Amino acid sequence: MTPPQADPAVELRGITKRFPGTLANDAVDLTVRRGEIHALMGENGAGKSTLMSILYGMTRADAGSVRVDGREADFASPGDAMAAGLGMVHQSFKLFDSLSVAENVVYAAEPRRFGLVDRAAARRRVRELVEEHGLAVDPDARVGDLPVGLRQRVEILKLLHRGARTLILDEPTAVLTPAEADALFTVLKSLTAQGRTVILVTHKLREVLEGSDRVTVLRDGRVVARLVTAETSADEIAAAMTGRAVELDRIHAPGTPGDVVLGVSGLATDGVREASLTVRAGEIVGIAGVAGNGQSELIEALAGLRPTSTGQVTLLDADITHASATERRLKGLAYVPEDRHAVGTAPAASVAENLAMGHHRTSLSSRGLLPPAGVRAHARQLTERFGIKASAPEVPASALSGGNLQKLLIGRELAHEAPLLLVEQPTRGVDIGAIQNIHDQLIAYRDAGHAVLLVSAELSEIRGLADRVLVMYEGRITASYDKDEADERTLGLAMAGGASREAVTVEAVD
Amino acid sequence: MNNRILGALRSPITFSVLAGVLIGALFLVGTGADPIASYEAVLTGSLGADGIGSTLTTGTSVLGMALALAIPLRAGLINLGGDGQLVLGGITAAVTGIYSPLPAPLTVVLALLAGMAAGAAYATLAALCENHFGVPLLVSSLLLSYPAMSLASYLARYPLKEPGSSLPQTRALPDGVALPAFGDSTVTWGLVLVVLAAAAYWFTDKRTAIGYEIRMTGLNARFSAYAGVERRGLTLKLMSVSGATAGLVGAIGVLSFPYRFVDGSLTAPGYTWTGLTAALLATAAPLGTVVASFFFAVLQVGGLAMERTTEVPRELTQVLQAIVIVFLAARLSFPSRWFNRRKEAV
Repeated sequence: MTPPQADPAVELRGITKRFPGTLANDAVDLTVRRGEIHALMGENGAGKSTLMSILYGMTRADAGSVRVDGREADFASPGDAMAAGLGMVHQSFKLFDSLSVAENVVYAAEPRRFGLVDRAAARRRVRELVEEHGLAVDPDARVGDLPVGLRQRVEILKLLHRGARTLILDEPTAVLTPAEADALFTVLKSLTAQGRTVILVTHKLREVLEGSDRVTVLRDGRVVARLVTAETSADEIAAAMTGRAVELDRIHAPGTPGDVVLGVSGLATDGVREASLTVRAGEIVGIAGVAGNGQSELIEALAGLRPTSTGQVTLLDADITHASATERRLKGLAYVPEDRHAVGTAPAASVAENLAMGHHRTSLSSRGLLPPAGVRAHARQLTERFGIKASAPEVPASALSGGNLQKLLIGRELAHEAPLLLVEQPTRGVDIGAIQNIHDQLIAYRDAGHAVLLVSAELSEIRGLADRVLVMYEGRITASYDKDEADERTLGLAMAGGASREAVTVEAVD
Repeated sequence: MNNRILGALRSPITFSVLAGVLIGALFLVGTGADPIASYEAVLTGSLGADGIGSTLTTGTSVLGMALALAIPLRAGLINLGGDGQLVLGGITAAVTGIYSPLPAPLTVVLALLAGMAAGAAYATLAALCENHFGVPLLVSSLLLSYPAMSLASYLARYPLKEPGSSLPQTRALPDGVALPAFGDSTVTWGLVLVVLAAAAYWFTDKRTAIGYEIRMTGLNARFSAYAGVERRGLTLKLMSVSGATAGLVGAIGVLSFPYRFVDGSLTAPGYTWTGLTAALLATAAPLGTVVASFFFAVLQVGGLAMERTTEVPRELTQVLQAIVIVFLAARLSFPSRWFNRRKEAV
């Protein structure tokens, strides 16, 4: 590691940014030394994104100063920031799927010859970068064909091509397998060894501990801790993020499975091949897998939102293979979808209206009427029962924080008391404090004798909650483990396609 | 309540209308007219004793068409075939009125129902095109509109043409086959029917489970689909109600003065487009749609009066309308919930 030099790579002093109703950044100081991997941590709404968008010229601070490589900077746009040697990899990649790796890397900074793009030079340049930084990726591959981990490398190559000395990565491992994440950190370490600097915006404690040099923790827009990674612990960081001691990675006691509630045999749909599984009453079955291996498609097919081409699905002994979403719900299914903004709620509608969905044809209505008073009372009851913090049932759901919106969604679906609950990514982007609450709710639901099918990209979540763990890889269920066999290493291997055991036989469904 | 009034004053709608009025005043000054006198002429011409009847008659058609377009728009669906459904409702009511063997009052009821059925059936056809052939509703409803207008035009010019007349119009309806008017005015029971339709829309929107599903579909179609709202069925229902409302407006037009179907007379005033503007202005909210429709009826009738009394061409009121719409569209270009809704609609 390069020794700290006189000028830090990035120095933010007294950054203050006020949005209507909130102080997003309150006199934040952040110093990132050259050649280090600096983790910026904090819960949602702590001000990480605001701080980074100020640094990157996407937002203007109300007060404070930015220095990059020792020079005073006042970026009016990301273009200015790039010119000063900064580069950012956003959470959702900004790549052209139909173009090649080389074309993507040189985009907007193309080598030219007679005023035209010099493709040969572009390919050469990309090859040089690939070799120089050990970022193996084929310059001629079409980006759309690459797995996520490699697409991320293309993003990094793009920044290196433009000469970025400081790389900002926003939640870079959210979509990666554990193995891909390890590979990413190897790359980042080699980059810092060459004197480049990395700012890592993340909420994952494990990778911060393994991969970073120093940590700055934000809470409520203020810096609450500056830690040296080698001298801290997960508990200390978590406590700084939440302001209280948190019990991390709790493994809940197993449930007591009863009769089969959901039976799936040989189900196939777009992206899912021959999936067979059962979920019993009083049991949580977890599906682990890297995003995009068919989990979402499987759940959508089970929820009736995607047609089933072959196979059979039974719910409480009723064949629901070709039933509509409404029929499935009536037979006893509730569903917490992965995307709470685009699917699980209508953010522009009120909290009360969002909580009424699904109940509006059953408990809340009589003869087609939907009395507003009933909708409001239902909302008050659920907000209280599930601890949803909303100033009034009339406020739009978009005004809720991510964690509260998720509580709303989970509360609404749990309130159906359906024998089967499908739940996807229940705590993605949710604060540590709210995660515990949501996990406790799911365990209580299971213990009340309901069946739960859980899909999560967080291994710790799967391990903590599930009584049995299935692994999906390339559309198939490739492995099944009991709670005590499902350690992180085994699951990680299976998620990367190296299931140590053949697809497990699952009890046939009548 | 105070908050709601404050909110209404601050809303982009108030802003757009005020901006339209102010910029319209600049136009007036530019053409050498006195803006205050001109606006006064608009108001007295539309709301004064001589104008109010005309405003209410125009308002009947504008509100009717605004409702027809607002109902599907509430779920994010855009019915651009209002003209076709309107004209089919009119010609069907005319045929029923001329040939029905029933006594006059029953014939009136039958003609209204027949007009509604024709509009509903035709709008449903557009919905079926989307549901089964993947033709976007926007396209199917708009394109289906033209053959309907041509058919009605043909019927009025050839088989049903009034013998000896040089105008493309059907025979007059038999005596008594007409909607009763209020006193000597041109305002008929048609206004009452349209206001009842608005009340029914308000009630459905606010108080019923289907109204809730419609609103949620408009706010986030994927959300309602996830919860089991069946989109195709909803599209069919909404389009049939929308078409029925448009057909009703056509039937009312035929069963009022001039008591016959005159080719082009239902579509020439542009009720469909004024109605669409009103519905968009109000984001399809029931009460807002009523208010906006009345506003546009005032502009339309008042514009004519202004032309009569102040030499200012009535096109200026269209400029005013256009400015109001442009200001509203400026709001639409922000990534608000409106933006999302329009994307889903297309």
